[in-house]
Amino acid sequence: MKNQQITILDVLYEEPGPKTRRKIFTFTILSSILVTLFVLLIIFRFYVTGQLSARYWRFFAKWTTWAFLLKGLLGTVRVALMAALITFSMGFLFMFGRVRGYKVVKFISSVLIEFTRGVPTLLFIYFFFFGMPLFGIKMSAFWKITIPVAVSASGAVAEVLRGGVNAVHKGQREAALSLGLTENRTFFKIVFPQAFKYVIPSLISELVIVLKDTTFAYVVSFNDLMQNSSVLISNYDALLSVYLVAAVIYILINYFLNKLSVALALKR
Amino acid sequence: MSKTEDNKTSNISEQNTAVPVIELKNIEKHFDSLYVIKNVSLKVNKGEVVVIIGPSGSGKSTLCRTINRLETIDSGEILIDGERIPEEGKDLARLRSEVGMVFQSFNLFAHMTILENIMLAPVDVLKMNKAQAKKEALELLKRVGVENQAEKYPAQLSGGQQQRVAIARSLAMHPKAILFDEPTSALDPEMIGEVLSVIRELAESGMTMLIVTHEMGFAKDVADRIIFMDDGNILADEKPEIFFAEQKNPRIQAFLSKVSKK
Amino acid sequence: MSITELLSQFGHEYFLGYLTTLQLTFFSFLGAFIIGTVMTVFRVSPIKPLRTFGNFYVQVFRNIPGAALLILLVYAIPYLSIVFSYYTCVLIATTLIPSAFLSEHLITGINTIDKGQIEAARSLGLTFSQIISKIVIPQAVRSTVLHMTNLLVATMLTTAIASQVPLNPLDLTGLVAHINTHATGGIMAFAISAILYCLTAVLIGQIGNKIDKKVRVLR
Repeated sequence: MKNQQITILDVLYEEPGPKTRRKIFTFTILSSILVTLFVLLIIFRFYVTGQLSARYWRFFAKWTTWAFLLKGLLGTVRVALMAALITFSMGFLFMFGRVRGYKVVKFISSVLIEFTRGVPTLLFIYFFFFGMPLFGIKMSAFWKITIPVAVSASGAVAEVLRGGVNAVHKGQREAALSLGLTENRTFFKIVFPQAFKYVIPSLISELVIVLKDTTFAYVVSFNDLMQNSSVLISNYDALLSVYLVAAVIYILINYFLNKLSVALALKR
Repeated sequence: MSKTEDNKTSNISEQNTAVPVIELKNIEKHFDSLYVIKNVSLKVNKGEVVVIIGPSGSGKSTLCRTINRLETIDSGEILIDGERIPEEGKDLARLRSEVGMVFQSFNLFAHMTILENIMLAPVDVLKMNKAQAKKEALELLKRVGVENQAEKYPAQLSGGQQQRVAIARSLAMHPKAILFDEPTSALDPEMIGEVLSVIRELAESGMTMLIVTHEMGFAKDVADRIIFMDDGNILADEKPEIFFAEQKNPRIQAFLSKVSKK
Repeated sequence: MSITELLSQFGHEYFLGYLTTLQLTFFSFLGAFIIGTVMTVFRVSPIKPLRTFGNFYVQVFRNIPGAALLILLVYAIPYLSIVFSYYTCVLIATTLIPSAFLSEHLITGINTIDKGQIEAARSLGLTFSQIISKIVIPQAVRSTVLHMTNLLVATMLTTAIASQVPLNPLDLTGLVAHINTHATGGIMAFAISAILYCLTAVLIGQIGNKIDKKVRVLR
């Protein structure tokens, strides 16, 4: 009977005896002091360079500041969600080609998957930024950031979905076929729904990656959170505080997305 | 089943000669407000085979694990060869090396070969010479009937083979006693016999053993004493003949009849 | 531009760009390995302040976007009178972010070990340090080979943020931007860089797979 909630960390240490308890206590106090000193050092640095002064932080009390940041965040979210949709569709196609296609389709899908996984997102973004005008295609900034971000993640999504499909018990497919369902029906009605359920946590992790990639929107001059932060900065001449707040917003969003992913994985 | 000690009496009386190998005095253990072991005392003398049986949740596994301090106790004393078990450090490790343990899920080291599994502790803990350790390891593998698997990895062996290797791994430390925590509970039925026969051979060779098990027939066969635990208490500590044939405790009778219905 | 024109004009730059990318990748991964291991030790230790610190570090650097971190390093912290060279800023960013993921992978690897083996080792009389060195670390390392391979590739892809600051020599991505701003590289300019990245990634993957097959623990 394996209790999944007990990890190795619970058994690595045994019940400490008195000497060990004293050692742990000493080191706990010592490290608390060290960590606190470290934090104080950082705050002191802020203070000494004048970065703690009110003029760098005062405007955060204004609603307009947050409204503006939120507008930027909305841009970020729009890009992320659209990119997620596109990357999921592309990833699904690649996965399907690799899992169910004939040899040629399988090969092409594998190549596309390896290609999108092996090239940095920034390169794709530059391709769309420089490339679209070259081909005479007019594309809004929104698409110039959304499509490359989506393309870049599609290979990884394909592999995640493929992992899910492989994790579905092959007996499921065999039972469906023996009931008379076609291969396609079996895949779409029986195998893939289960595969999808398995990999929702991993898909959320991919969403975090997509969200992080959206920060390159400034390359194509799209108004996302980072861009709006820049406007605030030039408005109030407060670079450090604004960028710090923007970074914290991203960290928090991704942190909670990851927590969601873990919670969903544990529910299984 | 030949036991050569003849200074045993038919009730729980003490050995009037040597210090018991394992002695538990008034052990108590609780998790928050739940008492899993309530004032348990028992002795295991040299060469004895003591079998603990009882329903699930009776605390018998926990009791077994307190003896080498894999579980801690809240009050009472545990003595190995008359010496209190240390709470930590090198002394505790040394004492653990003198009491072997065989686990329900074998717990062989997955990244080492069978031979390496057996040689690890003798070399690293007993500071035995490697060649000597290898020689003894191969002899032990032969004794438990797995000598052909020396270079294989645990995942390549069957459950029964793995458990026999686990027993050999404990024997390699020349222990004073071996604890068995439900050694056959995780095995497929057809492999239980091979493990039980190894344990039986060990008993006949005079090894001091404490076995927690569900196998009634085996218990009857091999035990010098049967201990029945229920709800954290010891309800009986008797020779098998008395325990099985002349059982007066209604609780135990109910348990025995349920078990024999299987 | 055709490929021959590109190569004759920029071939040398592509070569240097590839080296820059590889160099950044190598040093970042090395640094990430050291920092990640230290953080893992903190996160696994019985000392709570260290655990909290390690966990906080990992949460910050696995969730922060690379661009945001780079901007903070290049533009923001000079306000704290801390100024690094462009190259150092990139190196810091491409080291800290993978280090957080590396720590996560190590912890995953440690968790693959059956807890019963720890108890068995303990009951045989092995000390804590023996258990760590003979049972935990060997198995943890062997289980993480594939993850580490993926992380190495991810690190290489992360180094593309070097394109956002003026470096000399430019990295592979920065070079493409440079070529297209000063000339018309066309698809070929991207293709060369893309293929270099991609082939390297595939090569790393193959090597990682081979190593994994050799050292993986059978369960």
